[in-house]
Amino acid sequence: MRKALSIAAVNLRRVLRDRISLFFMVVFPFAIILTIGAVFGASFTPVVGVVSEGSGPLGADLLSRLGHADGIRVRTFDDRDGLTTAVERGQVEAGLVIPPGYDRQIRAGDTVQLPYIQRPAGAGQGGQLVVTAVVDRQAIVLRAARVAPSEGVGTFDQALAQAEAIAPLVPKVTVRTSIAGGSTASQFDYGAAQELLLFVFLTSLTASSMLIESRRIGVSRRMLASPTSARTVIVGEALGRFGIALFQGFLILVVTLALFRVDWGDPAAAGAIIVLFALVGTGAAMLMGSVLENAQQAGSLGVFVGLVFAALGGCMVPLEVFPPVMVKVAHLTPQAWGLDAFGKVLGKAAGVGQILPELGVLTLYAAVLLGLATILFRRKLTA
Amino acid sequence: MRAALTIAAKDLRQRVRDRSAFVVAFLLPLGLAGIFSLTLANVSGESKFTATYAVVDLDHGQVAQAFTDILSKLDFAKLKHVSTTAQASDLAKDGKVDAAFVIPAGFSATAAAGQGGELQVITNPNSAIGGLVARSIEQSFASDIDAIQVSVATVLGEHGSPPDPALTSQLVMRARETPPSAVLNPNNAESRLFSSTTFYAVGMAVFFVFFTVEFGVRSLLIERESATLARLLVAPIRPAWIIGGKSLASLVVGLVSMTALVLASTWLLGAEWGNPLGVGLLVAAGVLAAMGLTALVSSVAKTPAQAGSYASVAAVVGGLLGGTFFPVSQGPSLLANLSLVTPQAWMMRGFQGLAGGGDLGQVLPSVAACLVFAIVLGGITVARADRLVAR
Amino acid sequence: MRGDGPVLECRGLCKAFGERVAVDGVGFTIAEGETYGLLGPNGAGKTTTISMVCGLLKRDAGEVLVAGRPVDTGTVDARSAIGYVPQEIAIYPDLTARENALFFGRLYGLAAKDLEARVDEILGIVDLGDRADEKTDRYSGGMKRRLNIGLGLLNRPKLLVLDEPTVGVDPQSRNAILESVEGFRRQGMAVLYTTHYMEEAERLCDRVGILDEGKVLAEGTRRELVSMVGERDRVHLAATGDLESAARVVGTLDAVEQATRSQDGLDLVVGDARKHLPAILTYVGEHTHVTTVEVTEPNLEAVFLHLTGKTLRD
Repeated sequence: MRKALSIAAVNLRRVLRDRISLFFMVVFPFAIILTIGAVFGASFTPVVGVVSEGSGPLGADLLSRLGHADGIRVRTFDDRDGLTTAVERGQVEAGLVIPPGYDRQIRAGDTVQLPYIQRPAGAGQGGQLVVTAVVDRQAIVLRAARVAPSEGVGTFDQALAQAEAIAPLVPKVTVRTSIAGGSTASQFDYGAAQELLLFVFLTSLTASSMLIESRRIGVSRRMLASPTSARTVIVGEALGRFGIALFQGFLILVVTLALFRVDWGDPAAAGAIIVLFALVGTGAAMLMGSVLENAQQAGSLGVFVGLVFAALGGCMVPLEVFPPVMVKVAHLTPQAWGLDAFGKVLGKAAGVGQILPELGVLTLYAAVLLGLATILFRRKLTA
Repeated sequence: MRAALTIAAKDLRQRVRDRSAFVVAFLLPLGLAGIFSLTLANVSGESKFTATYAVVDLDHGQVAQAFTDILSKLDFAKLKHVSTTAQASDLAKDGKVDAAFVIPAGFSATAAAGQGGELQVITNPNSAIGGLVARSIEQSFASDIDAIQVSVATVLGEHGSPPDPALTSQLVMRARETPPSAVLNPNNAESRLFSSTTFYAVGMAVFFVFFTVEFGVRSLLIERESATLARLLVAPIRPAWIIGGKSLASLVVGLVSMTALVLASTWLLGAEWGNPLGVGLLVAAGVLAAMGLTALVSSVAKTPAQAGSYASVAAVVGGLLGGTFFPVSQGPSLLANLSLVTPQAWMMRGFQGLAGGGDLGQVLPSVAACLVFAIVLGGITVARADRLVAR
Repeated sequence: MRGDGPVLECRGLCKAFGERVAVDGVGFTIAEGETYGLLGPNGAGKTTTISMVCGLLKRDAGEVLVAGRPVDTGTVDARSAIGYVPQEIAIYPDLTARENALFFGRLYGLAAKDLEARVDEILGIVDLGDRADEKTDRYSGGMKRRLNIGLGLLNRPKLLVLDEPTVGVDPQSRNAILESVEGFRRQGMAVLYTTHYMEEAERLCDRVGILDEGKVLAEGTRRELVSMVGERDRVHLAATGDLESAARVVGTLDAVEQATRSQDGLDLVVGDARKHLPAILTYVGEHTHVTTVEVTEPNLEAVFLHLTGKTLRD
């Protein structure tokens, strides 16, 4: 075991001594941290853009109500193109168009369609709920204003004024929401988990090219020539990689928690998921390293495999959107199990005890990958 | 000058012979975009949303029945009827349903009497969208009840006399039949910027072009290692043509592969890239920007393998920051604009504008930004490469 | 038709890498049709000198003229007269021999039809004609070396530069290479040949420059160099008996310049061994019993030893 540690130490020293590798090793997680922050940080209070040119007094009233609503901030735009561009660029989370003729159509008894522009593959739809609620609340008094005249009781505007006076006095039906399991996580935290798992796996795989380098340079062979078993060499190589993956994973965890208040949940549970996932990533990296010949191949194949598994496993398009067949396919990947575990853990909803099945599956993945890697690596080295 | 073309032709021949080049430049991005399509579940690129909801009706009254009727008419939702709140909560916790609706006992009575009431939604923590939709449905239903009550109250208020049950129920019916004044519409064609499939096709093309063109400087390092560079330098050609030839080869490969991706993703996956001229301009500028970035990063390396890893890291970091996997925000704050440090972000910005129906004028800033990246980064590299090539 | 002037002239070449001076004031000339050897141990500065001659390396000082035209890292003109065979095998493994040759030929400005004919010719000369259309990564080491040399000949160079072409090569291929170089001589090409093998320098070169620690210590034909150490042979006698006396006695002979005792006998430096051997044996035989007689005529190794106190293979 001590020999394995010294092999790991040598590998780490090689990485640390190469200043540029070191730079990339640190820059990498920070890029992830920043993307998490940029995507999720800015939308803690979602900004909704609104266009209401020519929509008349009722439209202006809706705009004003939106401005006073809790849970969103409103930014007005002059025209739809400007709004669309702003949504595209993420300057606002979504855009609402109050069309010209809003006022007129409502008085005429029509139902107005309010286009609500969102980004595809987007993160965060929290704004939609608030906007719908505001539209609905205006719709309450507008309904009264439409019903009353047809009953011969005053004009539209008279009824509207009356309804606005009465509405606060009428007892409302409220909706109480809770998250099963008592989680306090925001939906954004789940997105952060997706990015984290994507990243840890990806960097583990791209690091496998270093293993191939060391085989090519003959260092591994030289290690074997000394009284060291193949298994020790492999453990040593794996330990170094595992250490790096783990370090990067925890760095992201801690910094996003501190800077962006991402609530990763029970520390032991979150930590356990990271540790096991880093192990899975290491196993995959070792397997790739022992199978491939060419360091260059390993680099690009690593990126591809990492991205495929991330996509299939629900790290990009969330699992809940997957068609049922694809959900089953997704659970062939370790990512899906890691996400399932995080889903339970985020917002302090669960502890290690509740995610034992998922942890078990991840352990199995790690064991299989590392085992296979060992067999193949030994064969390659002693061939 | 001819020497540059000769070198470019040789590099291209080597590139074509290298099977992994084809894989990285074309198969991988197309394959990934295809996988995304699969997970998005259909051909036209819109994700067909489906959900499973649990319903607990503890009331069994008329209003409750009206609500469950509405739920059962939702074409995207499957319903599971359970008898207790605890059961529903467990289903949500275990991920068997996306959310659970709970109608408490006595709800219909209070709602019908205009006394308000409370409905409950329990969401599954893993189903962000399903949960939101459920809350939205319940909220709309609640608003509908409120609207009826306020309408009735408004009319009766005018009369000023105590409510006549017959009149009240007539009013209720009238109010119920009156259509809502406005409805949010997030899903019609007008509201769509562009499909998710298009987003991922664009994202993958932009992401992978950085892998496709990175071999330029790396090939220089390989030639140095294998001594063929010495042969090139002894030949009666200017060292500049060596760099020029290799750059030309990179450019050709980048343009061809990206164009192929645009075409293939359009035909096979149904992606919609937008104005062809705009796309072409941005592809060209983007390839040049990618060349600049990967060349500069590779030129810091000492061996070809190092060059490959550094370029990979730059491509992945740039892709992540630049929004090729997740949309990133740009806006007033510094953090929000950090992504604009990467050429990927400008390419995504430009392509998304085109995919959203933008015209040529809209894409010019991105083209310009990419050209700036190309000139600045490429310029620095050429200055350094001179050192590499003429010792 | 002989041109006027030497094919290669270099004077005062200097190059330092940081503190270390690799080449210090090296100069020599090569005439048309002449094969010039640069002989020296590893680290003497041979490759550095060659790199400056070919314009691969920037000179700190000195000048290089090939066929009267200056060579520098920035100039292009004079290089078309140089054919270069580096020490490492500089060929593209993923291209065929023919593709390699066509590519480099184009860089040397050979026009299309001429190029194809010339490539065929070269492939024939290096005996790769039948496998010319296979990728060179499938070639044996010897085949790669032959191609390596062939590529240097493509442009019909006035000056062919070979940098230690036989290092690490098996004896058979080595011989083939040496025969090829002899062939180039016969064709009238000027050749600059670097090596640390004395036998090669002796066999191939008209003139030899002895290089050590960046300086040319001596230069000339084999005869001229050898005469620097005089016409002295070395005689080694393996003998038993009273070696001290034998050494003393034989040392008194005029012809014997030096007589020293060695582990197993006597080492003598003699003016003309052939002439004086009988006398030597008589004198030595009085005190000892001689079992073996070994006469070594002077060679470049001896010259080098004389000049530097080291052997070529140190």
